[in-house]
Amino acid sequence: MFTTGSKLLFGASGASLVGTLLYGILVGGIMGTVGLVSLTTGLIFIAGINAFIRDANVASDDVSQFSGSAAAAPRPASSVWPLVVAVGGALIALGVVIHEVLTITGLVVVLAASAEWLLQGWAESASSDESHNSEVRGRLAYTAEMPVAAAIGLGLIVFMFSRVMLGVPTKASTIIAFSVVATIVLIAGAMISRARSMSAPRMFGLFAVVSAVLLAGGAVAGFNGEREIKEHKTTAYYAELDKCGEKEISADEHASQTVAGKANSSAEVTLDENGLSYTRPGLNMVQSGVIQLPRSNANNILFRNETSEPRRFIAEMANVDGSPARICTALVEEGGVQLLTVNYSAPSFDPVVEESGGYSFVVAGLDDRIEVIVP
Amino acid sequence: MSHEKVHYRTICNSERATSSLENMSSRLFRVATTVAGVAATTVLAGCASDAPQDTWKPAGPNAQKIQDLQWPIFLTAGIVGVIVMAFIAFCVVKYRDRGQAIPDQAHGKAWLEYLFIAIPAVILTAIAIPTVGVVMALNDTDDTECVINVTGQQWWWEYDYEVGADGTICGYAPSEVAASPIITSGQLVIPADTKVLLRGTSRDVIHSYWIPRLNGKRDMVPGRVHFLRLESDTPGIYAGQCTEFCGLSHANMRMETVVLESAHFQQWIDNELEPYQAPAEGGLAAEGETTFIAQCSRCHQVNGLVDPGNGNLVVSYPDQFVYSGAAPNLTNFLGRNTFAGATWDLLTPECRTDVWESSPEEFGDKYLAGVSQDCLNEIDLREWLRNAPAKKPMYADPAMLEQSDGKVRGMPYLGLSEDQIDQLIAYLLERK
Repeated sequence: MFTTGSKLLFGASGASLVGTLLYGILVGGIMGTVGLVSLTTGLIFIAGINAFIRDANVASDDVSQFSGSAAAAPRPASSVWPLVVAVGGALIALGVVIHEVLTITGLVVVLAASAEWLLQGWAESASSDESHNSEVRGRLAYTAEMPVAAAIGLGLIVFMFSRVMLGVPTKASTIIAFSVVATIVLIAGAMISRARSMSAPRMFGLFAVVSAVLLAGGAVAGFNGEREIKEHKTTAYYAELDKCGEKEISADEHASQTVAGKANSSAEVTLDENGLSYTRPGLNMVQSGVIQLPRSNANNILFRNETSEPRRFIAEMANVDGSPARICTALVEEGGVQLLTVNYSAPSFDPVVEESGGYSFVVAGLDDRIEVIVP
Repeated sequence: MSHEKVHYRTICNSERATSSLENMSSRLFRVATTVAGVAATTVLAGCASDAPQDTWKPAGPNAQKIQDLQWPIFLTAGIVGVIVMAFIAFCVVKYRDRGQAIPDQAHGKAWLEYLFIAIPAVILTAIAIPTVGVVMALNDTDDTECVINVTGQQWWWEYDYEVGADGTICGYAPSEVAASPIITSGQLVIPADTKVLLRGTSRDVIHSYWIPRLNGKRDMVPGRVHFLRLESDTPGIYAGQCTEFCGLSHANMRMETVVLESAHFQQWIDNELEPYQAPAEGGLAAEGETTFIAQCSRCHQVNGLVDPGNGNLVVSYPDQFVYSGAAPNLTNFLGRNTFAGATWDLLTPECRTDVWESSPEEFGDKYLAGVSQDCLNEIDLREWLRNAPAKKPMYADPAMLEQSDGKVRGMPYLGLSEDQIDQLIAYLLERK
């Protein structure tokens, strides 16, 4: 009545039951008792199943079972997705403790791997022909897998390459970018084009080596950290330190001496041998002395230096406490033009502004000035 | 076929033909009445008498240039349109489907194709030449006699008058040398027969300045400076409207240009630059001054206003409260006769009619009289002071200002009492 396998399992279940009773009565302890009860229950369940399917044995004379029994069904292909789902689950758990990014990554991994797992299962049930099933899976999966894989691959390349470029000195990064990489691309292209008979495994191997080098380089550079990047101070930084003067400052290095022709200005201030003067778009007249600019609005002022000395254009403003404030351009060379944007939040008749000396445009080292009236 | 059957079919065909004729007649009647209705509505709409923004009534040389250009173009386009429509109608009726055979199809008639290219090319060239000429003339700024800065913001226009190197404003020397140039809003005041150049920009979003009877439209873009010529030889008020959608109250962003003859413009300048006159002590207006300082002066400037409590000059800082960084200057508030982006009249309807419809000779005196207590449109002004956002849609709800860093767009609800409103009106009545 009972098959061999069932007998063994029922025996184990009985032994487990006896052991559980003895442990529960003689030793006590909830955890141990619960554990043994669970084990016994599990064994009884498995023994029952095994008895029901009769050890999954098929009678040798039952020809129909050769193809119809559970044992005759094709074995599912080995799959990596359960493992990936487990890794995703671990990431979620770690993320809860360490950082939310890990949790989000884990969620993405679990969802993606689950989808792949389901898809694989669905494809394997399509037919008994493995190659056909594989084709069915590919038809659906590749539309999503290929772009995602390409994006991840490109992202990795860009990220690793950027780590390398940020890790090496500036000059070396230029050489790598424009010489080494260009040469590698050229050589690879030449090899591929010349060796038309190159086999796919060989080509795959070539790309694998290049990828490995890049990944290794990126990882090393990433761990070493970025090179020290020098912060370029702007004129605004020096203005805060009240260093809008005649002396050259680091903000003057490589400062542009031209402004795009389409720059829309409120006024164009010119310094020449006669001093400071200005013109305003729409008015063909040269003015000096006083200029009127609207309040609470960005006013773009172009400064043109027509003298032979480099000059710095300064807008004298006011702080809310009545102390003077200045903003300035970089040093403007002969014939150069720079733009300064000024925005006045208080009218020029405000006592606080008057206390600071009022608004004006000046050039470092010169006495000439244009008074700014803000209504 | 029997004789009876033939007779029966003839009767049926005859009835069908009669029915068809009746249907066609009924359809033609419906079409004719619809066309007549649309045409009558279109034509009668052009007969509106109260149309202050009528582009077909130029009141200055710039608008006249546009008028002189658009008439022939409109006429040409009209004639072409009529010819094309008539030709289409002819083809539709003449060659409608009556079961006839498809006529011979013409292909490759070169002379016809050349003709169809040449005719539009000639017409467009004929239109383009004067159009380019007018566009260039309207952008010419060489002959400017007066510069006024105009700044748009949600939802009103501000004007500040450039003071020339010789101290004059639009060529007029003021009797007083004021600490601040003239700055006003809503109504732009310009001298007659003077080539005025508006130098425009915006503090928040793109607006567009348009006084149809004086010139075309000009967009005002933040961070850029745009130019628009204005000139009129006839004193009067010319209405306009912002023509670039600029947010919630775009429809309530209006403007007016007031043209004054020479002597009146001089008078206006002198009045604008007159030193501040404090209200008589102990009166309702004096209480209004205190209320104004407490409630309004954070954003609204009244030039020369001194706080009687501490003797300090009162300076507004609208940039701390208003998204655009500006609020109308109220120094001579009742010297103009509209408010809240020129949307509501400060004058009662009778007084408004008296000013707006006065002859060019009388206009200057009537405008410069400002708004008297008898003529004040208290209803709208009170409603405005009571709850401005309820009268003109604005972004002023403190709970919904996250996007604009807690700053309002427009005037907020101030929770003024009726007594405070009485005081403010008494105070403002002296601001002219």
